[in-house]
Amino acid sequence: MNDIGEFTLLVALATAIYGCVSYVMSINGNRIDLYLSADKTPVIVWGCVLVSSIALLQAFLTDDFSLQYVWAYSNRELDTFYKVSSFWGGQKGSLLFWALLLTTYMTVVYFQNRKRNIRLMPYAMTVMLIIVIFFLFLLNFSTNPFERIPLPPEDGRGLNPLLQNYWMVIHPPTLYLGYVGFTVPFAFAMAALFTKNLDDGWIRLTRKWTLLAWFFLCMGNLFGASWAYVELGWGGYWAWDPVENAAFMPLLIATAFLHSIQIQEKKDMMKVWNMSLVLLTFVMTIFGTFITRSGLIQSVHTFDEATLGYYFLAFLAVIVLICVGLIVKRLPLLKSKNELDSFLSRESSFLINNLVLLGIAFATFWGTIFPIISEAVRGVKITVGPPFYNQVNVPIGLVLLALIGIGPVIAWRRATWSNLKKNFLIPCVAGLIAAAALFPVVPLKERAEIFAYLTFILCVFVMSCILIEFFKGARARADMNNGNFVSELGTLTWRNKRRYGGYIVHVGVVLIFAGIAGSQAYGIHDQKHLKIGESIQLRDYTITYEKLTAVEATSVKTRIIAELGVYKNNQRIWTGRPEKEFYKGQNQPVSEVDVLSTIKEDVYIILADFREDESATIKVYLNPMVSWLWTGGWVIAFGTGICMWPDRLEQRRRLERMKQQEAIFAPAQE
Amino acid sequence: MMQKKAKFAIGSILIVGAIGYLISTGISTTSQYFFTVDELMSQNVSYAGAGLKVKGNVVNGSIARDEENFLKIKFTIEDKQSNLNVVYEGITPDMFKDGQEVVVEGTLAQDGVFHANTLLTSCPSKYEAEKEAGKTHPGALPNQGMNKDPYPKSSEPLPKTTI
Repeated sequence: MNDIGEFTLLVALATAIYGCVSYVMSINGNRIDLYLSADKTPVIVWGCVLVSSIALLQAFLTDDFSLQYVWAYSNRELDTFYKVSSFWGGQKGSLLFWALLLTTYMTVVYFQNRKRNIRLMPYAMTVMLIIVIFFLFLLNFSTNPFERIPLPPEDGRGLNPLLQNYWMVIHPPTLYLGYVGFTVPFAFAMAALFTKNLDDGWIRLTRKWTLLAWFFLCMGNLFGASWAYVELGWGGYWAWDPVENAAFMPLLIATAFLHSIQIQEKKDMMKVWNMSLVLLTFVMTIFGTFITRSGLIQSVHTFDEATLGYYFLAFLAVIVLICVGLIVKRLPLLKSKNELDSFLSRESSFLINNLVLLGIAFATFWGTIFPIISEAVRGVKITVGPPFYNQVNVPIGLVLLALIGIGPVIAWRRATWSNLKKNFLIPCVAGLIAAAALFPVVPLKERAEIFAYLTFILCVFVMSCILIEFFKGARARADMNNGNFVSELGTLTWRNKRRYGGYIVHVGVVLIFAGIAGSQAYGIHDQKHLKIGESIQLRDYTITYEKLTAVEATSVKTRIIAELGVYKNNQRIWTGRPEKEFYKGQNQPVSEVDVLSTIKEDVYIILADFREDESATIKVYLNPMVSWLWTGGWVIAFGTGICMWPDRLEQRRRLERMKQQEAIFAPAQE
Repeated sequence: MMQKKAKFAIGSILIVGAIGYLISTGISTTSQYFFTVDELMSQNVSYAGAGLKVKGNVVNGSIARDEENFLKIKFTIEDKQSNLNVVYEGITPDMFKDGQEVVVEGTLAQDGVFHANTLLTSCPSKYEAEKEAGKTHPGALPNQGMNKDPYPKSSEPLPKTTI
């Protein structure tokens, strides 16, 4: 099976190269025979990669330690569940997994579009195949997962206990699905540039793909945050680590892209901008991979196989050069037919939204690579940590939050005072009321607390903007059809999926903003070495250490569990059981925290240390509003689902709009 | 028409400028020098009082815990030629032990002792490049500092019950 896996990888590479070359030749030489032959390759490549992946999975499931990769990431005692996840637990497997997802996307795109978009398809397929070739090249010649150990060992080294968590099965695939997904809009954008089909065709074709990739990336980031929160026991969910930034930056740029393509669809503007954004999004996914694989940037993690990073860097450079060249060459064709009229307009609010999102992405990028730059320029390595990101990104983030409220409501082209008043009077009043109501309640001494206060005011402002939109729409329908308000609310959303689905996503984002503000500004923690019976006092909570037990859970795992009674106002509300787990053969214990999560705050307890006399060091965090983040995530998922649902009405509306535009622009064209 | 364009250009430049300003002040107020122990010791300029990040390996047997306060520790980190005494108060990461490569953040006092407010350990290379392994965050895993052999033997006098 291993031989088959290795062989199919090679076949996949050969086929992909053949397909790529013959697509190009068929385009240039107008040769239909070559085209027909090339058109079979995407599916063959996918089949080969699939077989190869199955072979590797098989090796994991059958404990075949003759493979170096299986030996390094699995052992006999590992749960089957985690044997599957070991597939992407390390460098080599995760690259194969990437290739598998990429070719799967490619195949779906192929079947979806080969009949409908015959002009763009050869080009898009060529672009995707080139990217596939890059990964297959790495898999064959640099990081082959089927590398053998001549004398197979008896047992493997096992998977890091930290990764033996159900999030390990969910989080990486989600993130990869997002990363890889942006290849599709990128490929079609490049195809549009090559073929000079520079209307919004490629955007419409790939809108769902972009949304899907964005959705997975967004969920991947949130899953990662929540994994870190429940598993790592440092009381937080985001540390601005280079690895996290690598996943965050493409998300920001993709968000900017999702918004600015709406302006191109509606107003035929920002064409160059959109081309640049889709390129930048794709480049950022590769750059993110480069950061995580190269070890160039000092992170707390040790990385090996530094050479791999340079392949990525070279690939990155080639892509950027070609794409920028192509965009510059097509500049005359990318000219917009319309232009901005006023600062107070929806168009310019989208423009500002884009600048702000890119600003956050750039600040994050700059902070991430600053050690390298400072070393190159000044000879000293200077690093920046979370304080930098918080100081820079929080103010920019607040502008973004305000724009979430303003953007969807403000008038197109030019907003007059009267319609500004009509749209924003109630939200502004709501914001002011919130400001007045919160002022006596929340502490306002530190910088973080002031920012949190501002965030809450803006959240109220934005929420009222969104709710008024829903209310107005449903009211109008209810009056017109004499219908029930609540059911009209549903119909309204269902009939305008893109618009109201988008609003629902915005609601989720507002919840996340509120959650971040609350937990960052008002969180407190304390740590103490406690004997049995002693307690820690935090605000109105008393946490009393009651007992320490050791449990041999399985033959390979021992759990040391501390029991703590949590009292609120002298009322026992919960028993916390944080623990430490010891895995046989691993030289580090794994801390399992215990969290009592409520809407208002989380009580987060860590067993940091214990002694033979049963005394223990306990750390307790009070993290306000963390659950708002996760709720926000589910709301975003729900909203994106609505946005992505097939919408026939939308297609009809678009055709009508196109007819109108043709009527306007047709005389101008030859 | 040109006027309109100029207006938007100026507006955009203002926004970009504001973001640039935030970034540059952010860098200058929050950045830390990053040295290895050798580099720090060979500097001509004194970095006493400045925010520093120093990388080195824990000297074998140098970890000493305060008897009174269980959270307070002293240890020494070394590089090829020089070493540095560190004091730290707080929970130590799971992988903090003799010989481990660590990064400390804090300030250097006049007497040459480093007062760390953060203690980070690098992951062992085993958990290498995988980004998910990357989830071991700064100071993430509180350790039970004393246990040299992290897998407790059954002979150890720990209370044993089964839940």
